[in-house]
Amino acid sequence: MKTTNSRGPAILGILVAALLILPLVVHDTFVLRVLTEGIMWIGLAIAFDVIAGYTGYLNFGHGAFFGIGAYTIAILMMQANLPFWAALPAGGLAAGVVALIAGIPTLRLKGAYFAIATWALSRAIQQLALNVEFTGGPDGMRLNAFLNPQFFYYLMLITVGLTFLILWYLLERAPFGLKLKAIREDEEGAKALGLNPTKLKMQAFILSALPTGILGGIYAYWITFIDPSSTLGDLVSDQAVVMVVFGGMGTLFGPALGALLIFAFKTIFWAYLSDFQLLYLIILGALIAVSVIFIPNGLWGTLFKRKAAPPRREEPALTAVVAPEEGN
Amino acid sequence: MSETILTVDSVTKCFGGLTAVDDVSFTVQKGEIVGLIGPNGAGKTTLFNVISGYYSPTKGSVVFQGNDISGKPPYHLAGVGIGRTFQVVKPFAGLTVLENVVIASFLKHPKRTDAERHAWQVLETTGLADRAHVSAAGLTLAGRKRLEISKALALEPAFLLLDEVVAGLNPTEADRTVELIMKLKGQGLTILIVEHIMRVIMNISDRLVVLNFGRKIAEGTPAEVCGDAQVIQAYLGEAAA
Repeated sequence: MKTTNSRGPAILGILVAALLILPLVVHDTFVLRVLTEGIMWIGLAIAFDVIAGYTGYLNFGHGAFFGIGAYTIAILMMQANLPFWAALPAGGLAAGVVALIAGIPTLRLKGAYFAIATWALSRAIQQLALNVEFTGGPDGMRLNAFLNPQFFYYLMLITVGLTFLILWYLLERAPFGLKLKAIREDEEGAKALGLNPTKLKMQAFILSALPTGILGGIYAYWITFIDPSSTLGDLVSDQAVVMVVFGGMGTLFGPALGALLIFAFKTIFWAYLSDFQLLYLIILGALIAVSVIFIPNGLWGTLFKRKAAPPRREEPALTAVVAPEEGN
Repeated sequence: MSETILTVDSVTKCFGGLTAVDDVSFTVQKGEIVGLIGPNGAGKTTLFNVISGYYSPTKGSVVFQGNDISGKPPYHLAGVGIGRTFQVVKPFAGLTVLENVVIASFLKHPKRTDAERHAWQVLETTGLADRAHVSAAGLTLAGRKRLEISKALALEPAFLLLDEVVAGLNPTEADRTVELIMKLKGQGLTILIVEHIMRVIMNISDRLVVLNFGRKIAEGTPAEVCGDAQVIQAYLGEAAA
């Protein structure tokens, strides 16, 4: 709710300015490419956190929204010959519509069941893309190349920056974020306070899917080649989960920090240890386990925010008195 | 004379083969405190859940301020002026006390700053203002029960359902809560209260409704109910009656 310190906005301003000037100074295409992808991951992580961190629904199918956005743009550009700017919003929209349809059955589930259902659904979508004609099946799709690293850097920066601002306003300033947290903490209790959990969860799910679909679309046009494993595979979802859990769920800065660190690690790892890709996944898995056990509030929560709820182990007897009488 | 705010009309609630509430009818008049009592398992909380929309009645209806609300979802009922607390308290544990109450305040104050201002007022009334920035998980049981009341009050309800807000508190805390309830009555709030502690319920209720095994066995002023043979039998057994 409060800014962590008064220097926060100043630091943020310098950061944004630096990001804006960067391509004018750095001409190395590889560096620019890495930065573009890093910014994209920040966007994916904060969008994921809307449903996972704020609402408490761990979506293991986040990657599907990314892939749907990517494929929508590829199909519209290559088969309907639409220009990029016309296709891009459709990518977000398609992801949003899928979130709406997928949310109706899955958002009734909780905890691990929601995670399993969304994971299964995203696998089904990947299989679909592998088996139908218009996606190119396992061969994927090739888009007309538009080779302008600066363009994609700025497009990604603006998209993620706008996403961050909109989410920050909705989740940290407007009532919406607190309402989602109420759902996360106690859905039944939230109902008594006039909140409609079904509606709020659906809004959060769509809000999470929209920017993810748009980022997928930009990614497709930027990389110029997509296939079911690169955009609809597990890795997008898994990395988003690790970034958010490691960085700090239920905040916006936490996932951004997590995304930066994990992505930097991934880049270095793949640059020097590309023979050990399996090891990267093992490290990701270990990291998520370690984060959950040792820094449940994530890196951001541990470093900057108020401490976790003080453990009040001294009065378990009192809770036991009221607990067993449910359903009198 | 007085105006009826709530009519419970032959409400029955079954769970499979179990009839938890069996053909219960009573009314609540505006401005009054009605106590709902009965031995454990009498169906008090089930009836509460029916009135507050958590269960829809198997048979019968609940009419609030002239509108049939049976089967309407809880979040709708919060909107029409019914606030409730939970016997098993439901704080949003990961949020602060203030945030908990702000969420309830959104119902009548959609703007965050207004909601916060209103939440502070509520916390002043309920005596939790000094704990506003504490995590709700860090409250004592008394604090959590008070937070339950604060959240219900922040909805600015016309009708308040209190489910065992005194049970489990020490005598001093209990007195403070009773004081708060009387203050709310003084402000014109209508209250339906479930409570096990007889000292409390007998003192604050204008009327009592007694349930046993899901059925209403008596209704009347505390004095009348105390003398009722069926009530004595339900509480103390056959021999005493």
